[in-house]
Amino acid sequence: MTMNDANDYVIEVRDLVVRYGDRTVLDGINLKVKRGETFVILGGSGCGKSTLLRNLVGLMRPHSGRIFINGRDFTAMSERERIEVRKRMGMCFQGSALFNSMTVGDNVALPLREHTKLEESTIEIMTKIKLELVGLSGFDHYMPAELSGGMRKRAGLARAMAMDPEIIFYDEPSAGLDPIVAAGLDSLIRKMQNTFNLTSVVVTHEMASVGLIGDRVCMLKGGRIIGMGTMDELRASDHPFIQQFFERRPEPEGAENADYLRSITGGD
Amino acid sequence: MISMIGRIGRTTLNGVYALLRVCVLMVDTLNWILVAPLRGRGLRVRSTIEHFVEFGVNSLPIVALICFLMGAIMAMQASYQLERFGATRYIANLVGVAAMRELAPLMTAILLTGRSGSAITAEIGTMRVAEEIDALEVMGLNPTKFLVAPKFLAMILAIPCLTILAMFIMMLGGFALSTVVLHVDPKVYFDQTAGALVMKDLVTGVIKSFFFAVVICWVGVYRGFQVEGGAEGVGKQTTSSVVTSIFLIILVDMAFTILFYFV
Repeated sequence: MTMNDANDYVIEVRDLVVRYGDRTVLDGINLKVKRGETFVILGGSGCGKSTLLRNLVGLMRPHSGRIFINGRDFTAMSERERIEVRKRMGMCFQGSALFNSMTVGDNVALPLREHTKLEESTIEIMTKIKLELVGLSGFDHYMPAELSGGMRKRAGLARAMAMDPEIIFYDEPSAGLDPIVAAGLDSLIRKMQNTFNLTSVVVTHEMASVGLIGDRVCMLKGGRIIGMGTMDELRASDHPFIQQFFERRPEPEGAENADYLRSITGGD
Repeated sequence: MISMIGRIGRTTLNGVYALLRVCVLMVDTLNWILVAPLRGRGLRVRSTIEHFVEFGVNSLPIVALICFLMGAIMAMQASYQLERFGATRYIANLVGVAAMRELAPLMTAILLTGRSGSAITAEIGTMRVAEEIDALEVMGLNPTKFLVAPKFLAMILAIPCLTILAMFIMMLGGFALSTVVLHVDPKVYFDQTAGALVMKDLVTGVIKSFFFAVVICWVGVYRGFQVEGGAEGVGKQTTSSVVTSIFLIILVDMAFTILFYFV
């Protein structure tokens, strides 16, 4: 891969195959994420989108295929090299995954304390800045359990942003939030994007968010990518599932159950 | 028939895999305790001290109370037989040796299993369910370094300390009951105890307690990382942690008792 390519594409996935036992969850995924864009992975429940995300951040090792981060093979790295790469990544978890035993401020400060040799006073200031960024200034002494769901997600975002990452991953950012809070989070994601020129990868099934935050979208179904492009390109697609997804039409009664059964048994 | 053989094979394989995973965890933990700090990759001293306080200092009242009562109970039960021979003074020997060699290490270990082993499993399990372990990894923080190493170090320091205290408290229990209820002369009781005990009793007791600590911590951690699903998974693994831990403690106890009998 040439240097130029590496600059254009922050993440490149080649022929990714992931299996749980005998069941193939992701089957030959190929995608590239450009520097500075927000890339949305869209799909129904159980289509493998969370699995794809877990592979991208290295929480799972794929069965075969490669993932390149900034042109370097992430799948073949030693644990130490992976840690270096991870310092440049941030991730927002579905349930925020804040450490419940620490205050919000300590949560945000943790990566700084562990990975940098900054003075405690500097860390404190940086923590305050990050919390301010997500609209939670003054909440550093609260425990995560004392915050609402939306606030926890914001705090999770502040923690993900603590090390000033290049790439940020969001797992279902609006899941479990009411529409107003979800919209607030969407605009926060957009704001982060514009302010810091981050590359973002968002996993979601929330159609309302996609148009607002996504530059490009890929649609997953049954472990394969069935469509990729801008929102308009995807909308214009004649793939029946994409049409169905966009129009929110339900599966015909019965077919859904048969599909589901097949997906959990792995049989054809 | 074939299905039965298959089942036996699968169970064995699963057992072997579990053992392998425990070994990997052990090596990883030892690496983070012994090797990594020398290479300047840091041991979490603060967290270790906090855990030591939790496992050791905070367990002391309950360990002390139970061991005191156990000592008294032992003295009472022993007098039931020894009184018939007018040999109540030998209660001191019995309580002393039993406490040092067996009961103090065992009671401490079982109490700590219930109090701290279960807490370790529940904590790590809950963190797994809430994706906190994943969050650590994504941040480039090693969960073994961050969560396991401090607990392990605290546990192997706390349990031997508690055990030594428990030994003396248990003898104190026996002493109190013997002198107050059974009217054994305090001086005689003391001399009997001092005469009966040898250094080996203390050493074997402490060595055992060290391995009990290893068992409690590793079972607790291993079960914690095994949690799947939600709150139900945490409950299931916590129960299993306590049961496995007590079972293994008895096995280790057995092994060492045989070993020390011949050595």
